[in-house]
Amino acid sequence: MNDELAWVLQAQQGSDEAFTRLVEEHQTHVYNLCYRMLGEPEAAEDAAQESFLRAYQNLHRYDRNRPFATWLLSIAAHYCIDRLRRRKLSMFSLDAENDEGTTFEIADPASPDPEVESVKREEHDRLHILLKGLDETDRAAVIMRYWYDFSEIEIAESLRLTVSAVKSRLHRSRRALAGMWQEETPRTRAERRIHESPAF
Amino acid sequence: MNHQPFETWLLEDKLINPEQRRELHSHLRTCAYCAALLETGKALSSVKMISPALGFTARFQARLAAQKVADRRRRFWGAVLFVAGGLAILMWVAGPYLASFLASPATWISALVEWGIYLITTLQAMAQAGSVLWHVVPGFVSPFAWMVLLSAFAGISLLWSVSIWRFVRVPRGR
Repeated sequence: MNDELAWVLQAQQGSDEAFTRLVEEHQTHVYNLCYRMLGEPEAAEDAAQESFLRAYQNLHRYDRNRPFATWLLSIAAHYCIDRLRRRKLSMFSLDAENDEGTTFEIADPASPDPEVESVKREEHDRLHILLKGLDETDRAAVIMRYWYDFSEIEIAESLRLTVSAVKSRLHRSRRALAGMWQEETPRTRAERRIHESPAF
Repeated sequence: MNHQPFETWLLEDKLINPEQRRELHSHLRTCAYCAALLETGKALSSVKMISPALGFTARFQARLAAQKVADRRRRFWGAVLFVAGGLAILMWVAGPYLASFLASPATWISALVEWGIYLITTLQAMAQAGSVLWHVVPGFVSPFAWMVLLSAFAGISLLWSVSIWRFVRVPRGR
């Protein structure tokens, strides 16, 4: 039995200490998902905390045959989707919210070149902004696929969709992102980038 | 070659051979949409994890403790409200009878004794009737019918026990 499963079992029997270990283990994954879904650090912190609280309250429903991380991220994704829908209903604009803040990115030791790093950061920021333009379920599917390497089956299980619906949502999102990227990118820069870094 | 296969390769991150790669490169020079698809794909594939601010676990523990206190408080006030509501309904329903009992207790006590005697005699009569049936009925019912009846009874008892267990069990991890 691995450590994680042991902690889950102990937490199911009422050990808060074991659940705290699970929080420590998964906080970055849950927070990152919430941040990418909601777009701002304060809301992400609150959503991540709430997701862990919901996981704690529903621990008896956890199916031990499923990876704990998948179950946890599914709770976080559903919470963020609900929150975004409520936000839409209250006509609260995402654009009015702050970006970045108290968070920090994990440094990538493989890319020491500051210029490359700067370009990458710029691209990530753009992508982060473009993600806000997607439908909330599509956004969750894209984040699970590309940030967490979830398979289409895992995404389908987490978001309660069919595998074909996941595939179609991923394609639609990629097309939408490319469309928005194309609108925002000056033509010259796009051409330069193609010549600089050939595909595959 | 038309646009569609290139879009499919890019959308599905398909492995392509050198010939296809050459074709894709020449297509990307003329198709801004596919170039954008490639760039977003590359950006998505190189995304980084963002960590929460330090002290996330401590903040969670504080939130969990606050939630537990709020839950306990809600349960306490829920119980108080339930008991107070029950008492109020009881007083509303039983109030007139209580007033009448306090006005003439002797009448009420004699009525109560009368009702008790009626109940006891009824139960005795039912017990006698049951005893007669218990001795007479088995002769009319075949062993097979008894088996069916007992199995049905056992099945219903099991269903009832499982239902009660499902309702009353306390979930773990709360």
